[in-house]
Amino acid sequence: MQVERIKFERTGGFAGMRIATDLKLEDLPEEQAETLVELLDDMDFSELPEQMLDESGPDQFTYTITVETQKWAHTVVTGESSAPEKMQELLQLLNRLARTRRKH
Amino acid sequence: MHRHFPVNCFVPPHILKNIATNGTEAQKNLAISTLKTSARMRGQRQALADFQAATFRVAVAGKDRIVYDARNGSNLPGTVVRKEGDGPSGDVAVNEAYDGSGVTYDLYNAVYQRNSIDGNGMRLDSTVHYRTGYDNAFWDGEQMVYGDGDEDQPPEERLFNRFTIALDVIGHELTHGVTQFEAKLQYFQQPGALNESMSDVFGSLVKQYQLKQIASEADWIIGSGLLTENVNGVGIRSMKAPGTAYDDPVLGKDPQPAHMRDYVNTISDNGGVHINSGIPNRAFYITAVELGGFAWERAGQIWYVTLKDKLTANSRFQDCADLTYSTAGELFGAGSLEQQAVKKGWAEVGLTVGTGPTPEPEPGGGCLSALLRLLGAAPAERR
Repeated sequence: MQVERIKFERTGGFAGMRIATDLKLEDLPEEQAETLVELLDDMDFSELPEQMLDESGPDQFTYTITVETQKWAHTVVTGESSAPEKMQELLQLLNRLARTRRKH
Repeated sequence: MHRHFPVNCFVPPHILKNIATNGTEAQKNLAISTLKTSARMRGQRQALADFQAATFRVAVAGKDRIVYDARNGSNLPGTVVRKEGDGPSGDVAVNEAYDGSGVTYDLYNAVYQRNSIDGNGMRLDSTVHYRTGYDNAFWDGEQMVYGDGDEDQPPEERLFNRFTIALDVIGHELTHGVTQFEAKLQYFQQPGALNESMSDVFGSLVKQYQLKQIASEADWIIGSGLLTENVNGVGIRSMKAPGTAYDDPVLGKDPQPAHMRDYVNTISDNGGVHINSGIPNRAFYITAVELGGFAWERAGQIWYVTLKDKLTANSRFQDCADLTYSTAGELFGAGSLEQQAVKKGWAEVGLTVGTGPTPEPEPGGGCLSALLRLLGAAPAERR
């Protein structure tokens, strides 16, 4: 799939601070963009249910991820423990990108 | 000295048990004798048996802690690195988790007569070094989990230190456990913000208890020391002045309201549970400062009993206001200073309680005040 854009938002957590990032894949270093696309392919992102938020534990993060291609856009909301294992690496990477880009 | 005195009013047994466990020898004898007398009077043999069993249990099964190391992974609980009674580790986060859960246990046990999170000696498990660059701490329903902040960033970019650095964060997480066993406040909108506020209240009280600070001396900051020097802020939340903990070009501004008129309607953060908790947080702060002395004693007692016996899963701010007010009346007497302080606390955040006819203050104050005076521990003398 031709992923063009990934929007990521993290809310909640002990501090209750929101972090977010809006990534256009063409602006990212090629290697990073490839890793993101691979991770999304591996978990069949477009097939994931939109709502994966169960009764989340206190102070855990809530994530909202939107992936856009030319043909479709799909948004998934998930908690930390309710996210499937194969999604953890993507969450880690998006977290890192959002944190390092927080200033920009 | 073994004195007897008439107790013509209802003093909650848990207060007496508290005194029986923690008072001086004379106070203990007095409280135990009162407990026995009132139990006999009411024919409550079971109550007496329970009390004896409870004190026995406390004596044999005290605090029991284990600290685990996730070694930057996400598998919980991880590897055991320090058990109850082990000496200090070379790892500061391990020691902070161990000591912090110990002080939290001590506050609940000594002041509120609660043996651990479940009231029944539950082992306190903590995991440190969870994941990499994990700027969070949480209670997963069974244990506490702490990240190291953003240790993976270059020093000049770091915003968060390790989450065990602040004792009130540890008390906060453990209190989520207490709430899970008691009021079971659902983690959404107002009940969720009350859940958060209870964690902040008792988290702050754990720190004040450790530092032996009276209400006016405490900083009432949640997460002091958690933000690095790169951030313009004193902590994550201020119970004294919600909305003022930080104001930073990178982190933004503390979004907490201090009054109902500024209540934030949002779907983020489980309906703003970490945002609107500022309102009940400030109500507690006002109550505690109004009463003076150690905040964990009277204000804390009122809030604890409300959490344990009154609030339910769907309780909202107004319910909490009404219930802390009625609880203060039960514990300290209708129209007592304590009840007036609770009323003022909620009034200052825009919630009205006790609009019915104001009851006449009991002569000489409430039951508990009378008892405490007899025991030589009148709160008024501690201001």
